[in-house]
Amino acid sequence: MDGYRREATSTTAPPIPPDERLLLERLRAGDEAAYRELLRQYTPSMLRVAMMYVPTRAIAEDVVGETWLGVLKGLDRFEGRSSLKTWIFRILTNTAKTRGQREGRSVPFSSLGGDDETDESPVDADRFIGDGHRWAGHWASAPRNPRDVPEERLLAGEATERISAAIEELPESQRAVITLRDVDGFDAEEAREILGISDGNQRVLLHRARAKVRAALEDYLNEKVSA
Amino acid sequence: MRWPWRRRAEVGPVLSRPEDITCREIVRIVNDYVEGVLPAAEREAVELHLNLCDGCSDYLEQLRMSIALTGELPPDALSPELEEELCAAFRSYRE
Amino acid sequence: MTAYKFLRSGGVGPFTGFVWQPGTWVEAPGAAPCELGVHACRLDDLPFWTNDELWEVELDGAVVEAGHKLVAPRGRLTRRVDAWTTAAAQSLADEAAARARAHADANPRDDTARAYAEDAERRAGQGKAYAATYIASVAAEHAGGAAGRDAERRAQAEWFRHLLGTSAS
Repeated sequence: MDGYRREATSTTAPPIPPDERLLLERLRAGDEAAYRELLRQYTPSMLRVAMMYVPTRAIAEDVVGETWLGVLKGLDRFEGRSSLKTWIFRILTNTAKTRGQREGRSVPFSSLGGDDETDESPVDADRFIGDGHRWAGHWASAPRNPRDVPEERLLAGEATERISAAIEELPESQRAVITLRDVDGFDAEEAREILGISDGNQRVLLHRARAKVRAALEDYLNEKVSA
Repeated sequence: MRWPWRRRAEVGPVLSRPEDITCREIVRIVNDYVEGVLPAAEREAVELHLNLCDGCSDYLEQLRMSIALTGELPPDALSPELEEELCAAFRSYRE
Repeated sequence: MTAYKFLRSGGVGPFTGFVWQPGTWVEAPGAAPCELGVHACRLDDLPFWTNDELWEVELDGAVVEAGHKLVAPRGRLTRRVDAWTTAAAQSLADEAAARARAHADANPRDDTARAYAEDAERRAGQGKAYAATYIASVAAEHAGGAAGRDAERRAQAEWFRHLLGTSAS
């Protein structure tokens, strides 16, 4: 588990990357293999995003089908000022929102209910030294260094299972953001556009979600040390 | 002098410098640090503190590790049935 | 211009994990020099960044002062400061802890001052130079306010000046 640094920076959606440009040409030429490639790459994430807006999987599949049709119809008009991926997901989000409203489901992020949690600390208050002490606010019970856990005791499969379980337990809006950002690899700008939320909201939701996932990892590491 | 991450006065020593940021405050803003969206002054405060504090360095290591592990979660596969359905639509559109 | 840089063992950037190759120019990406760029520091700011290895660096391009750092679009490691050894770091830590102890001794009824001195001595005993120097600066502020704090950091910078063999003013 070395060398795992991924520090995303928030940027605006970049224009179409070179490898997508080739794919686009092949698509316009009617190359089914190129289409299949694109389908496989994006459909699973598209289904996940659609599920945030519509009530059933079947309807989500409908939405995805409609989206791909929209992509095909719009291929000739697409100017490449954003990436193909961003463009596809914009069509998806619009299609999903419209369908979701028709199905009577309210947009999940219309009320985040996040502002009342501004003072929530991702870590229990009693992990820190209390007020009045000369080191108030510093760790009373510090996290352990992951490298202190003997490598052979860590099973990557186990750790990811715990992380997966932690994500499943997140409130919907936090789950959506962390999935788009850290599972699907969208950057901050793409994620907030897909979800239709502000930059600040995206950051807060991601912060809370990642904090909970970290806590789950910490529990796992602590178990493995005492194993 | 109060720094932006301090929401209310914390009872204790009056310490006036950015490097006096506490672990409790670090934990609140560390994700913004990882995201690269902290203003320069706050970013420096975080770095000065990380130099000082094993606990927060380890917290950051855990956070980075959990982000990396989240990235390793297997993507859902596209079911063959759905794939064929979508490809059939492609073919009929092309006709 | 010449500046300094602390790295972790193995020439590793403490915050980026970037592995520096001595002598090789490093270009920093991005157009915002305060956020990105090669980071280094002046001699006076060395106490703020102490780490395993100390290097002299050459910076190129428009150098920006940002807080306790210098930021430049290009830089390279030029010379390892061999004098910065574990023993040297220990002496820095011990001297800082001694100053914290002096504050406590000067104020025998001040429990907090004594606690800071014990904290600094404990950290120095663990070989944690950065923590010891930080605690000493906090102890100095407790004893003498902001001016006291600045004086302590200046004393630490003077220690580095001595290490580097620069004549003191």
